[in-house]
Amino acid sequence: MKASSLSEVIVICSFSLGILIVTFISGCSTSTIVDEQKSSSTKLSMDSEEKIVIMGRRHGSSYETEPGFIDCIGNNISRSENLNVLREKNFLDTFYPWFEPRIAPLNLNRMKVVLNNDIIAKKIQTLKIRYIVWVDGSTETTEESGSMTCGMAPSGGCFGFKSWDKTSSYEATIWDLRGLTEKGKIKIDSKGSSYLLGVGPPIPLIAQVQGIACEGVSDRLIGFFNNG
Amino acid sequence: MITTFKKKIFASIIVSQLFLIGCSTHVVVISEHPIALIKVLPYKIGLVLDNSFTDYSFIREKDEEKITISLGKSQSELFNQTFNSMFQGVSEFTVKPVSPIKPIDLYISVVVEDLQLSLPRETSVNVFEIWIKYKLEIFDSKGSSIYEWIISSYGRTQTRFLGSQEKALHQATNAALRDAGVQIVTDFYEIPEILNWINIKKALKNES
Repeated sequence: MKASSLSEVIVICSFSLGILIVTFISGCSTSTIVDEQKSSSTKLSMDSEEKIVIMGRRHGSSYETEPGFIDCIGNNISRSENLNVLREKNFLDTFYPWFEPRIAPLNLNRMKVVLNNDIIAKKIQTLKIRYIVWVDGSTETTEESGSMTCGMAPSGGCFGFKSWDKTSSYEATIWDLRGLTEKGKIKIDSKGSSYLLGVGPPIPLIAQVQGIACEGVSDRLIGFFNNG
Repeated sequence: MITTFKKKIFASIIVSQLFLIGCSTHVVVISEHPIALIKVLPYKIGLVLDNSFTDYSFIREKDEEKITISLGKSQSELFNQTFNSMFQGVSEFTVKPVSPIKPIDLYISVVVEDLQLSLPRETSVNVFEIWIKYKLEIFDSKGSSIYEWIISSYGRTQTRFLGSQEKALHQATNAALRDAGVQIVTDFYEIPEILNWINIKKALKNES
């Protein structure tokens, strides 16, 4: 092969690779829509000792709110604003069985019935739990295409192309246990495409759809509170 | 010649064993069950759990795949913990005593009636599901049957990216055990026969 034609091939390959990378990077982007609804324009107040519990809804027949997503929101809130967050698992174990999926209160009327039980009400007071944030939703893979084959030979390597779309859809509802009122709602929908390119070692380009949804809900939740 | 033949047989046994291991899942359920937040009743319970319950393992062989879930220890702990939360004291028995033992007010014997599971590839949803059916027989201190109670508990967990089947089945079984505890705690005092028994006990106590 002539030197000129070889350099042409290299230029074409580099150009194609560049286009491919740009396509992947742009393709990996996610789109997010956040809506919020507040019962009043004033920020929610709470004493320095009072706590918030972030809870996942798991009563649906086809999905459950992921415990990892709830932990993610809890971590973000407690880190960002020094708001006291009681972990979901701790809350569920302490108040077992009253907030388990089968019998957890789905609305404020049911919550009122739960709090009519003196033992539960006393425990809520002792632990200074002021707000419960119920998060309902899940992240699902909506579309998958392509295929990839990976070799078992020592040289290894994969060949192929795979892509999938993920959609996160969550709604967070804030209950104030002092006065049993709903203080607001946050709704988030996030979509994104991920790719896996197999040319030798597989190159993953993953869209952090759930992570973005977690950040979105956490930021808005922090915005509801006026700590101190 | 014979040595080569032996080597071939040995190799084929190893390979077949590897395949069998590859197609089997064994889950040993380990869990910490929470104490129920409930008013304690001043009665003593005799909890009758025989060896078939305390050593219970569920085995399913389907489509050349063997799934074993050993939950005997965990479910025994659950029933012990739950009744300990509800009553003043719990004594465990492997068989129901023939003659009454003085401080015991109620005997509760538990058996596993059925366990079913479904895997994501068998259904249209990406969840591992477990159903456990328990039969609780409740006897008074003299051994007379008060009530036969069937509890159907349910647990599930969603599939996770690169998550193992063992872990998912473990979580689903734990969720089903927690659900059984929920039903015992919340429904026990709704049973008319139990309410009647409690009222009689209260009346007898007031008389004395």
